[in-house]
Amino acid sequence: MRIAKEYNGSNKVVHFARGLKSIAVTLLLLAALAPRSTFGQEIDLLLKGGHVIDPKNKIDSKMDVAIVAGKIFRVATDIPAASAKKTIDVSGLYVTPGIIDMHTHLFAGTDTNSISANSAAGLSPDAFSFRAGVTTMVDAGSSGWRNFPVFKAQIIDKAQTRVLAFLNVIGSGMVSRYGEQDVSDMNPVMNANMITRLYPKILVGIKSAHYWGDFTSVDKAVESGKLANVPVIVDFGEHKPANSLESLFMEHFRPGDIFTHTFSEHTAGDREPVVDLKSRKVRPFVFTAQKRGIIFDVGHGAGAFNFSQAIPALRQGFMPNTISTDLYSLSMNAALKDMSNLMSKFLAMGMSLQDVIVRSTWNPANVIQHPELGHLSVGADADVAVFNLKTGKFGYTDVRRTKIQGTQRLVAELTIRAGNIVWDLNGTSLPVWTLAK
Amino acid sequence: MNCIKPMLKNSPNYLKFFLTIVFLISASALRAQEIDLLLKGGHVIDPKNKIDSKMDVGITGGKIYRVAANIPANLAKRTVDVTGLYVSPGFIDMHVHVFAGTQDPGFTGFGITNGFGSVVPDDFTFRSGVTTVVDAGSSGWRDFHTFKKQTIDNSQTRVLAFISIAGHGMRGTVDAQDTSDMNPTTTAFVMKEYPEIIVGIKAHHYQGHSFFPVDQAIAAGRLTDKPIIVDFGSSTPKLSIEDLFMKHFRPGDIFTHTFSGSFITETAPNGREPIVDANNKVKPFVFEAQKAGRIFDVGHGGGAFVWSTAVNALKQGFLPNTISTDLYRSSRNAGMKDMANVMSKFLAMDMSIQDIILRSTWNPANAIKRPDLGNLSVGSEADVTVFNLKDGKFGFMDARGSVKNGTKKIEAELTLRAGRIVWDLNGVSGPQWDAK
Repeated sequence: MRIAKEYNGSNKVVHFARGLKSIAVTLLLLAALAPRSTFGQEIDLLLKGGHVIDPKNKIDSKMDVAIVAGKIFRVATDIPAASAKKTIDVSGLYVTPGIIDMHTHLFAGTDTNSISANSAAGLSPDAFSFRAGVTTMVDAGSSGWRNFPVFKAQIIDKAQTRVLAFLNVIGSGMVSRYGEQDVSDMNPVMNANMITRLYPKILVGIKSAHYWGDFTSVDKAVESGKLANVPVIVDFGEHKPANSLESLFMEHFRPGDIFTHTFSEHTAGDREPVVDLKSRKVRPFVFTAQKRGIIFDVGHGAGAFNFSQAIPALRQGFMPNTISTDLYSLSMNAALKDMSNLMSKFLAMGMSLQDVIVRSTWNPANVIQHPELGHLSVGADADVAVFNLKTGKFGYTDVRRTKIQGTQRLVAELTIRAGNIVWDLNGTSLPVWTLAK
Repeated sequence: MNCIKPMLKNSPNYLKFFLTIVFLISASALRAQEIDLLLKGGHVIDPKNKIDSKMDVGITGGKIYRVAANIPANLAKRTVDVTGLYVSPGFIDMHVHVFAGTQDPGFTGFGITNGFGSVVPDDFTFRSGVTTVVDAGSSGWRDFHTFKKQTIDNSQTRVLAFISIAGHGMRGTVDAQDTSDMNPTTTAFVMKEYPEIIVGIKAHHYQGHSFFPVDQAIAAGRLTDKPIIVDFGSSTPKLSIEDLFMKHFRPGDIFTHTFSGSFITETAPNGREPIVDANNKVKPFVFEAQKAGRIFDVGHGGGAFVWSTAVNALKQGFLPNTISTDLYRSSRNAGMKDMANVMSKFLAMDMSIQDIILRSTWNPANAIKRPDLGNLSVGSEADVTVFNLKDGKFGFMDARGSVKNGTKKIEAELTLRAGRIVWDLNGVSGPQWDAK
C-alpha cells in the first residue's frame, strides 16, 4: 500500500515527528479501508491544486486534499492524481473546512400562531447552507426542551446539512414574545437533562433571548449551562431600560458564554452597544470581557448589524470571535443574504481572508465544544468548502440599508459534506459535455 | 417680494397673475414628486411592448408609471442608477413546487404536497429575479385551501398554481395512480373559487398505459377554460407523445420537461419519449405541434434537462416556448440551482438575451392566460428585475452529470415586487454608510 511505502521512505522522520496520534489515526483508517482499496486508487476524491486555509492545523498554502470514505485522508502538497478514483482541479480556488454558521433559525413548520418555533420564520437548512459553503448550522434556540423532538424529527433528521442546536431556556422555545417572559417555563434541570441524557451530540448550549425583565433569563440559562457543562448564547435586547452590558459580561457570564448580535445599534434604548454612540470608541470593558473569554458572535440578522458599530470596532482592533448569520425569513433577502455574503462583508471591512475563515470554522467549532469540526485534520469528517475569491466591484449593506464598497466576494464553488459533493456551482467536478456524446 | 407686494396692492390683475404663478409653481412642485422610484440608465427589455433599448422606468403607487428615455431625476422621490444593467419585467417561473409543509408523505415517495419535497418560494425567487411563481400541481382540490392559507397568502412572491387532477396533489407516485381520485367536476369547483390564483390543471406521473389522467385534466380545463400542464412519460409501455400533442392536447396545453432524455428516472421507470430521435433529430411532429399552439416548457428539475436533447433541438431551430425551473427539494442544489442559472444555460446555448427574457416573462404570462403580468406597460404592477449580464467563465450542469461551459451569466441585482425593493445584491439602492 502506498501509505505504508511512504512511512518506509525518506520522509519517515518528518512524518513520525507529527506525533503518534496522527499515525494511529492513519493506521486505523488504513485498517478500516484495507479491504476495499485497490492498489494505487485508495483515494475516493482528490481536490488538487487549491490553496488550503485550515486555521486549526496552521495551513495556509497550496495543498491537495484527499478524501476516503467520507473522511479527510491526507492533506499534502502534490498528492498524485493516479492514486485517486476521482480528481477535481481546484487550482485558483481556496479550500477550507466546511463553514460553520453558529446562529441560524431552522425550525421551519406550519404553526401560524408561533413566531420562530415550527413556523414560517424558520428556513430549510439545505436551501441556504451548501450554496454558501456551509456544512454545519447551529439553530439558536428556536426550540426548547418541550418541542425539540419535533424539530429533530421534522428538520434535523431530514437535512443533509449537519444541524446542531442551542436549546432555548424557555421550554416551548420561540413560540411567542409573551412565552419568552414566562419564568415558570425556564427549567434548568429539564434543559440539562435534555442535553446530557438525550441529545448530547446535537444540543450544544442554551439560548436566552428577548427577555424584558432583569437578569433572570440569563441566569436561568447559565444555571442550565452549568448543569450540562455547555455555553449559553444570549440575545440581550428588549430590556427597558437597557440592562448593563458590563454586568452581563463580568458578573453573569462564564468564560465561553456567547454574546450574539455584537454589532447591533438599537435606537430604542433597549440594548447597550459595544461601541459608544458619542465617542465611537469601543467601550473598555468589552476588550476586558473578550480577554476574560467571553465570546462575541456576529449574529447579523435582519436588525442586528450596523456599520456604525462594526467599522469603528474593527478599526480599533476589536474583532468578533465568530461570524454567523442569524439567518431566518426576514434576514435572508435583506442585508444579510447568506453566510458567504456576510463573510465577504468582513473582507470589505478590511479583515483578512484568514481571519474570516478562522471565525467561520475553527473558532465556532471550539465555542460549541465540537473540536472534531471546523478543520481538515486526518480522520475528520470530510466537510469541505471550495471558494472562489472573486475580484470586482461589490456592495455590502447593513440593516439600515447603507452600504460599503468592496473589491472581493467569496463565492462557494464546491461544497462537500462527509465526502459527498453537495454543491457544484460551475460543474467543476464533472466532465464537459460534447456534441458527439 | 418687495416689488411684487406693491403691484398686488395696486391691481387685481397682478393678483391673478401672481396666483397663477403660485399655482404653477406648486403644481410643478407636486409634479416633482410624481414618481416614487425611478430606475435610471438601464437597458430595458420588455418583449410585450417591443422595447429593447436604454430607457428609464418610473414607478408610482406600486405600478409602472412611465417607461421613456431620459425621465428627469427631479421628478422622482428616489432614483436608483442602474446604468450598465438590464431592466426587464419580473421573471415568471411557471413550474415550481412550493407547497412546503410537514405532512408525512407516507409510503409513496416524494412528499411534494404539504411536505418536505417542496421549497419555500421567497427562499429562491427574488435572489434570482423571479417575482411570480406558478406551482405545478403540488396541491389538488382536496388540499388547495391548505396550500393557499399556508403558502400563497404568506409569501411576498406572487404565487399562482396549476392544481393537480389528482385530488391529493403530488404526495407520491402511488397516489398518482388513483384514477378514482381524478375528478374534473370537483377540480373545476375549486378552480372557479380562485380564478385569480389557479391558472390551470396538472396531470403527472401516471404509470398506466392510458391517457386517462390527461383527458380528465383536459375535461377540467374545458369546464374552466384553462390550460393543462403535463409531466408525461411514466407509462408502461410508453405512450406516444405525438398522440399526446395531436390527439389529446388543445392549443395552449403545455408539455413540460421538454428537454429530458430517454433516461430512466425514479418517476419515469421506462424512460420518457424524448422530442429528438435516436440521431438527435427533432421529430417532425414536434415542430408541427408547436405551430399548432402546443406550449413546450423547460421544467428543468432534478432529472429533466439533458444537454444532448437541448443543444441539438436548439441547433435545429426548436426553441421552448417557456423557460422554467421545476424547483423542488431535489433540483435546488443540483444542476438546476435557480431560475437565473437555468436562463443562463440558454445563453450558453447561444439563445439571445431577448429570446430568453421573452420566454421568462411575456410568454409564460400568456401561457397561463395572465396578460396583466410579464410586461412593463403603464399601469401594470411594478414587478421588475434589474439584472447584470456577467462576463466570465461559467459552467452549467445538466441532470446527467455533464457540463457545458459558457461566457455569460445572469445575476439578479435588484428585484422589485409591486414597486417594493425585495432584493438588492450590492446595495445599489442605498447610500454609503457614512454619508451625511
